[in-house]
Amino acid sequence: MSGNGVNAAPAHPFAIGARIRTTWMARSRQEQLVYKLLLPVFGTVFVLATIPFILAVIQAVTSDSGGFIGLENFGRALGNPLLYESIKQTGIYAAIALPIEILGGLGIALLVHRTVRSNIIRAAIYIAAMIPIVIPQIAVGVVFRLVYAADYGILNVLLGQTGPHQPLWLSSPPLAMIATASVDIWQWTPFVYLVMFAGLQTVPSESVEAAQVDGATTWTQFRHIELPYLRPLLLLVLFFRIADVIRVFDHVYVLTGGGPGTTTQFLSLYIYRIGFKFSDLGQASALAVLVMVAMTLFYTIVLRFLPADRG
Amino acid sequence: MTHRSRGFTRVATSVLLAVIAFIFAFPLFYLISTSLKTKADLFAPVPSLFPPAPTIDPYISVLFTRGFGGLLVNSVVVGLSATVLSICVAFAICYPITRLPASPRLRAFVLSWALSLRFLPPVAVVIPYFAIVRTIGLYNQLPALILVYTIFNLPLAIWMLRGFLDEIPLEIEEAALVDGASRWYAFRTILLPLSRTGILAVVIIVFAFDWAEFLFAFILTATPQAMTFPVGVQGLVTQFEIIWNDMAAGAVIAIVIPLSLMIIARRHVMTGLTFGVIREK
Repeated sequence: MSGNGVNAAPAHPFAIGARIRTTWMARSRQEQLVYKLLLPVFGTVFVLATIPFILAVIQAVTSDSGGFIGLENFGRALGNPLLYESIKQTGIYAAIALPIEILGGLGIALLVHRTVRSNIIRAAIYIAAMIPIVIPQIAVGVVFRLVYAADYGILNVLLGQTGPHQPLWLSSPPLAMIATASVDIWQWTPFVYLVMFAGLQTVPSESVEAAQVDGATTWTQFRHIELPYLRPLLLLVLFFRIADVIRVFDHVYVLTGGGPGTTTQFLSLYIYRIGFKFSDLGQASALAVLVMVAMTLFYTIVLRFLPADRG
Repeated sequence: MTHRSRGFTRVATSVLLAVIAFIFAFPLFYLISTSLKTKADLFAPVPSLFPPAPTIDPYISVLFTRGFGGLLVNSVVVGLSATVLSICVAFAICYPITRLPASPRLRAFVLSWALSLRFLPPVAVVIPYFAIVRTIGLYNQLPALILVYTIFNLPLAIWMLRGFLDEIPLEIEEAALVDGASRWYAFRTILLPLSRTGILAVVIIVFAFDWAEFLFAFILTATPQAMTFPVGVQGLVTQFEIIWNDMAAGAVIAIVIPLSLMIIARRHVMTGLTFGVIREK
């Protein structure tokens, strides 16, 4: 099939003067090239990224000595009440952080979009909003250790509460939850802001002006003109933030280590604890498999709303 | 709206934005302030807002006395190697799906597979990797981290690079091909130079992500031989008595590198973080 042209497609009489892609011969050769180039590299990476899943399944159904033990580890993983406790705490964390981040980010974006006209100030806000996002999570933990720590934290100093009865932000149950969630809000509200602000720039100014001529209030302008443009972005942000909450680890590890008790022992910290503090890798593998399956299901839902190839 | 009420709204908005900016900036200010305090300042009954006698001793203590300079080198070596690998792999994957007539289904599969990695919590992945890395003798070795970082920051590289490549018209290369150039020659002399800005942006952002990674490094390394800088910073926090100024200095160093990189590549940061949904024009 590639008899005479070998790899000098342009020398082929039919290709001269024509766009290569449109000749059938060249096209089929190019399609072969797609696989020749893609398969070795993509295949390797795909295997390397899939091995952990297969290995986690194997680890979960075998004992330390290598014998097959069936679903025992899954039974122990699902029978552990601390798992449900960690899911519940993760849910509370998300329920505090995500609405504030999304509504706050959206609110600030609308505020800046409507009232700040200067491009220099807009650019300055853009850079400022990027700062929390690009700070390594570990460093964010350190930053807020300095804010919330008892005796040395600056918050209690500012509140004038330095005595023996000062609020223990990191070691009393409801406060530790609020403290860790507040860090999430500090770091990710600017992210929502940036996405929403970028989204607002795509709203055609003619529709906004037409609405204003018709006497639309600020609310109806948002509800009927801007919101439709922002809806896909709101979904995207929500999905990314949910995925991020499931992986929350670094800043909480630095701030509370999961305590007090199990107050801030969120899902990732719980799995870490089972696997590496209790060295129960069997149960941890079962949990890893369950989480990977759950996130894959979640991802198929995400794909339904966000077609992977958005052109 | 009357003139006066518009002026009032303006002032109110400015005040509100200033308050928000203050709340966001204050913790960082206090971090820097603490990192410039002397050891004696740490024992003040009430910690001060500003360092009474600013000093860079905590930075020297972290980098040299505590030997974190070595961790910094590890972080740079791991970050650079993983970034270069990610870019090469991303190119090998993005070239066929953007420059050749790959079927839309194949293209969609590759891209959605890449995005799916973004949804896997590292803690679930690290448990099996921990076993692999110990079995093949790479525990506490930099190559293990390079490998893992390459794979898990690949989605970012693929999505960003694909966005940049899509913007370069196919016709430019095709013209060269029609003139008798080989694909490899066209890639090297046309596509590569045209995508230079894009490659640079991907390099910077992937490196910043590699740099900030904590959990994999925390679990797959054990000694300063292979530990990365964020693992070292974490070690400063959980000791029994926290040396606040050293801890703050460590965090400042950890922040400065990704922050300056991101400011250089600021036009592309959001593209990276949203996997190409947000595009700067």
